[in-house]
Amino acid sequence: MLAALAIGAPATAPAQAAAPAPAPDSQQETPEVTRAIELENAGKFRDAIPIYRQAMRTNPTPIVVLGLERSYAELGMTDSLLAPLDSVMTRYPKEALYHVVHLRSYQILRRYDAMRVAFERWVRDDPRNASPYGTYARMLIEIGQPATADSVIERGRIALGTARDLQYETAQLRAAMGDWETSAHAWRRTLANDAGLASAAAYSLAPAPATARAALRTILGAAPAEAGARRALAELEITWGQPQAAWDALRALPSDTASATAWEEFGDRSMSEERYGLARDAFTAALQVRHTPALALKAATAALRAGSPAQVLTLTPQSEWGADAATAARDYLPLHVEALAAMGRGADAERLVAKYDKYLAPGQHERMARLLASAWVRAGDLQHARTSLAASGVDADSSDAAGLLALYEGRLDVARRLLRTSLDQSADMALVMGIVSRVRGDNAPQLGAAFLALARGDSTTAAQKFVEAAAQHPEAASALLIAASRIHAARNDTPGAIALWRRIVTEQGDAPEAAEAELEWARALRRSGDTQGATAHLEHLILSAPQSALLPQARRELELLRGSTPPG
Amino acid sequence: MIEVVKRYHTAMRTAATAFVAVLAIALAPPTSSAQRMLIPMDDGQTNHLKAYGLTYGAIKAGMQAEWLLNYRGGSFLLPDAPELRRRAGLDGISLEPVSDAQLAAIRREMAGANMESVPLEKAPKIAVYSPPDAQPWDDAVTLALKYAGIEFTRVYDPEVEKGDLTKYDWLHLHHEDFTGQYNKFQLGYRDAPWFRELVAKNQTTAKQLGFTSVPALKKDVAEKIRQFVERGGFLFAMCGATETLELAIAGHDVDIAGEFADGSPMDPNADAKMNWKRSFAFKDVHLEKSPFINSMSDIDGHQVNVAGRRQPLGTFTLFNFSAKFDPVPSMLVQDHRAVLNDFYGVTTSFNKATLKNGVVILATEEGAPWTKYVHGDYGKGTWTYLGGHDPEDPQHAIGNPPTDLSLHKSSPGYRLILNNVLFPAAKKKPLKT
Repeated sequence: MLAALAIGAPATAPAQAAAPAPAPDSQQETPEVTRAIELENAGKFRDAIPIYRQAMRTNPTPIVVLGLERSYAELGMTDSLLAPLDSVMTRYPKEALYHVVHLRSYQILRRYDAMRVAFERWVRDDPRNASPYGTYARMLIEIGQPATADSVIERGRIALGTARDLQYETAQLRAAMGDWETSAHAWRRTLANDAGLASAAAYSLAPAPATARAALRTILGAAPAEAGARRALAELEITWGQPQAAWDALRALPSDTASATAWEEFGDRSMSEERYGLARDAFTAALQVRHTPALALKAATAALRAGSPAQVLTLTPQSEWGADAATAARDYLPLHVEALAAMGRGADAERLVAKYDKYLAPGQHERMARLLASAWVRAGDLQHARTSLAASGVDADSSDAAGLLALYEGRLDVARRLLRTSLDQSADMALVMGIVSRVRGDNAPQLGAAFLALARGDSTTAAQKFVEAAAQHPEAASALLIAASRIHAARNDTPGAIALWRRIVTEQGDAPEAAEAELEWARALRRSGDTQGATAHLEHLILSAPQSALLPQARRELELLRGSTPPG
Repeated sequence: MIEVVKRYHTAMRTAATAFVAVLAIALAPPTSSAQRMLIPMDDGQTNHLKAYGLTYGAIKAGMQAEWLLNYRGGSFLLPDAPELRRRAGLDGISLEPVSDAQLAAIRREMAGANMESVPLEKAPKIAVYSPPDAQPWDDAVTLALKYAGIEFTRVYDPEVEKGDLTKYDWLHLHHEDFTGQYNKFQLGYRDAPWFRELVAKNQTTAKQLGFTSVPALKKDVAEKIRQFVERGGFLFAMCGATETLELAIAGHDVDIAGEFADGSPMDPNADAKMNWKRSFAFKDVHLEKSPFINSMSDIDGHQVNVAGRRQPLGTFTLFNFSAKFDPVPSMLVQDHRAVLNDFYGVTTSFNKATLKNGVVILATEEGAPWTKYVHGDYGKGTWTYLGGHDPEDPQHAIGNPPTDLSLHKSSPGYRLILNNVLFPAAKKKPLKT
């Protein structure tokens, strides 16, 4: 049925192509036609066809013609449609839909000469209509005849005295021909009348090579900022891997409800693609126009994920939580407590939780307690963190959080016991488990201090403490050094990271982390332009660790350095 | 110029003598007992394309190499040298150390089957005819050469006109239109900036080199390529270059270009005036006289750019030649797959009806009137044509992203290209007489 529907309703046709439709009395279908539609929906096309054909003779309507077209198409008998359709077209020569079906039938049958004749007939029947030119040109583009399509559009322009109604086809045609700038100009004019075609424009222009993209940005981004053009440009930028530029294209739109809708849609998409900073900016912009609780919550959530916890408090101030405390406890409280925890404001978080304590749903208490504990951890107050955790209930002394607290205090034996059963599969927990399982002994205060600094968001101290712990725990030195190097790399401290990678490769060459260190070292050298150094490291890695899981990545890097595969 | 293939061909022409001689070659004992390594080319190989680069590098370094035709997908036998092991390790190429006893067993197996060992002696000097500003990804051969790590030099009209082809053993052509009509892309791209730039550059070059038009320049370049082969060069062409080179050579003294290309319409009697004695592969071809139809002639069986004539893609099958008696065609079809998916190009295939007698058909599609892959001798040299643009991008269109061969490390289609690069390195073994 999907195929039949697609035939009946071409998705790419612009509104103006189907607009001039002086249809026969078609609003009320006869019971027979309704029966034919039911048969068709049931897949009984052979039973539906005689009814449709009878209706074609007595009371042809667009619904009847489309129904017969779909039914014949399902049975692979499109050629049988031509004769009855011809009779109907003779009676209603200006009915655009019948001509579209006529052309489409020949396209399906690959009878391109007959398709041209059908086009000429439509032009004769309705000489002042742009639809024949546009429809036929689109079909020619679809069958790979852009040159002929070009001629048809040019003929339409001459016959009609203007190409105003053929901008959509011109845009599609020029894109198909690789004439990107002309296409973009035509799209710009089309989108000014129908912003809903933004996706079609983006799809059409997306294959433009990198060298042509600057011009397309200029054309679609030129003032005034119009919704259709900007939405198309934003979609293009995302396709071309430039999400920030996509937001830049959209943010320039005037502040109105249409723009707010575009911004919110962009925010939703950014959230799903984990681009939280862009999502926060888009939701925040939309919020200035359309201030709804749902949108404010989206903006606050995005801000929290983007690492801007302070914004949570301003985007969803308590004054806007509403009168229903249960709803506030469910929707707003977790966000605020998490934000306060991220800022290390344990006391504020505790007060807030206490205020809404009686409205918390079952299971929420435990989560709140963990957030409070993390707030105190971030503030460096482990005793308070333990107290918060103890308040959470029965598993206070057996949870992951308790295990982490033990780790922060350097009590490795307890941490090991509590974390062994953890179901947490996050990268943070993987790091913890990887190191804890390799360090010998029951006490490791330096290691605890390193993880505590990390939990507090003090990356400088954390990196330093991991390096110090490496000296204390040679059995896990490579794991500790790679943890420190990742922190340096995340802070864009490349020299600091390279110093650690060098140490791992030279001092811990047999360790499992050596391959990662050497690969990252090579990547850093490549980024800095040291091709020779990067190549040497990649070759060393490939030859010295042939069983490493990182080998495909190393080989890929090497290919890029040699220029033997295309970039990107 | 390398001697091998020419001497092989001489041997083939003097059939009876060669028959005995090549049999003797097959029975000849190995000349070295040093430790070797086998580069398998069947499904045991993890990177078929890089294996060609490894072998080419070994030959270039003066090492002894052998191509074991039909043995495990056309494997290579190389010295077990540390530098080769290193490169194989870096490139992810599978290798198997082979002891003297194992090698003897391999040779025994080959002696009793349709297999043959061909020594590879000298790395051919490779030229690729391509505009200087072309990206390597525009051309399947430069893609393959770059990926395999085989050195090549780009040459274009000024270099060819200067006589530089004599510096090379092997020349590759891709989708150049030697009729000077820009593959008739003006039909669909006349206003596209890249097309306008292409026309302007070609017109400037033609003027600088003293030609009245681009078609005149391209016909002269085609003539110099013909002479290159006649004097002993190896030519490999793909896509539109195959068809248009033939048209330009046969139409050397005929106006075969449309008015948009040289200012004058095509000679209405062009068909009758073509001199097919001069061309390599085709005869009695009918030119497409309409400037509005994106086709050059009836050589191409698929006619991808003419909607009413376009034929669908199928598969093509490589012929299995006698490795002992037909080593050259055998080398050209070494592959770990016998049936390959077809791929479009400006010229996709070659109608059999237009092929000259004596042309060796290397691959064909069963029941189809066309073939995909052909080869032949001309003067002292050889030519090979492979239809289509990119074996791993069957419906390649202008503006499509380049093929990343690291994702197609074992491409059977790209192996055909690299077979052509390596076969001029083959050396005739001393006859056991």
